[in-house]
Amino acid sequence: MSVTVKTAKEIFDQVLNGEELFILDVRNTDDFKDWKIEGKQIKYLNVPYFDLIDGVEEIMDQIPKDKEIIVVCAKEGSSKMVAEMLSDKGLATSYLKGGMKSWSEYLYKKEVYKDDKMTVFQFVRVGKGCLSYMVVSGEEALIVDPSRFTEIYKKAAEDEDVKITHIVDSHLHADHISGGRVLAEETGANYYLMKSEGAVFDFKALENYNKIDFEQVSLEVIAIKTPGHTPGSVSFFVNDKLLFSGDTIFVSGLGRPDLGGKAREWAKDLYDTVYNKVSQITDDVIVLPSHYADFEDEVNRAGYIGETLGEIRKQNEIMSNQSIEDFVEHVAQSASSETPPNFEEIIGINRGVEKAAEEKQQELEIGPNRCAVHHTH
Amino acid sequence: MVPIVVQYTILIKKGNENMKATKVLDAKGLACPMPIVKTKKAIEGLQSGDILEIHATDKGAKNDLAAWVKSTGHELLESTEADGLFKFWIRRG
Repeated sequence: MSVTVKTAKEIFDQVLNGEELFILDVRNTDDFKDWKIEGKQIKYLNVPYFDLIDGVEEIMDQIPKDKEIIVVCAKEGSSKMVAEMLSDKGLATSYLKGGMKSWSEYLYKKEVYKDDKMTVFQFVRVGKGCLSYMVVSGEEALIVDPSRFTEIYKKAAEDEDVKITHIVDSHLHADHISGGRVLAEETGANYYLMKSEGAVFDFKALENYNKIDFEQVSLEVIAIKTPGHTPGSVSFFVNDKLLFSGDTIFVSGLGRPDLGGKAREWAKDLYDTVYNKVSQITDDVIVLPSHYADFEDEVNRAGYIGETLGEIRKQNEIMSNQSIEDFVEHVAQSASSETPPNFEEIIGINRGVEKAAEEKQQELEIGPNRCAVHHTH
Repeated sequence: MVPIVVQYTILIKKGNENMKATKVLDAKGLACPMPIVKTKKAIEGLQSGDILEIHATDKGAKNDLAAWVKSTGHELLESTEADGLFKFWIRRG
């Protein structure tokens, strides 16, 4: 049997289709436990490649003979070696092109909203649970929370025949490197960020903007200052229809406030945001967050990550009828254990106080995101 | 084919212990899985107690060697990193 090569896109499409997959992950056990390709229909076997150098005989009884086997490793080399061994045993085998590194960098694009004024696309970074957006109106586009893969947004804008004129970051990210600054340089777009987040390069301070209007169409972006996740977190309320909630509200929970080391203080801000600001927004508004924890749990019927505010309120008791004390206690406790990998260095890069070459950026971002409160164990 | 394993002896210090590398394996420029594949072969040619010194440039080698050593009963005595060059000293179990 010949070995086939699969891209991250091809594997994610199989996950989306609910196909039953068998993944043989040959990374170290710790890496596998920390972070892997997720899917409800996936069966896993984790055996480090160095235990298979002499052959795959010992694991043959754990490998299904009637399913396609996808071998996965960190960068590709080891998975190719093991895939070839399995293939020699007569099994239909493939391996992930570029390994988990490419899985970490794959973005899936999906249209999430369309009316006569705007079209909105969601970009799902499936390996990390990060979401970014493109709002298209007339001949212009606004990008929300871009990842560092700026080519993808430029291509998306080209496909829609529009120019990227505005870029916003809802906060200074701790789990991934923002593409905002680079994308602004490449496109000449305005880049907005809260000044209070401490970035040291040139940008437009969101503190000075209650609205960001673009095109003659009335596409209105209102920055609602929503402290809580980081002191300068904002949400963007678009045309009274959509709420880009950043890391403040997720489909299945609230953002974690502890990454700056002042969990309780920030949890109070988060309470104020949820109870005094978000509570003014109507139930039919669609919340589009910057993160999710479990794609298949949080994806809606239309195939994207998002939910009406009313539904999110229903599912999250913590968002209504709680005292500030109970709220702060719940949030502070649940958010205290794990942090995103390398978050201090990533924050340094996003502030512009540290620099890193691309290879270093890839390395820093490898692994899971751990930004949602309910994501802790 | 050029033999990868070069036979010579050097001394390194670890605490008060003098470690004598029985063999040096040059795995520079090799990508995963080759550093470990070569290490495994090289160490199989050694006696219990012998020390293998490995030079590698693949960043993944560090974690992988540490995990591999644990699963095999060999011992990772020392590792260093300078200018992108990783060196490891492993004692055969």
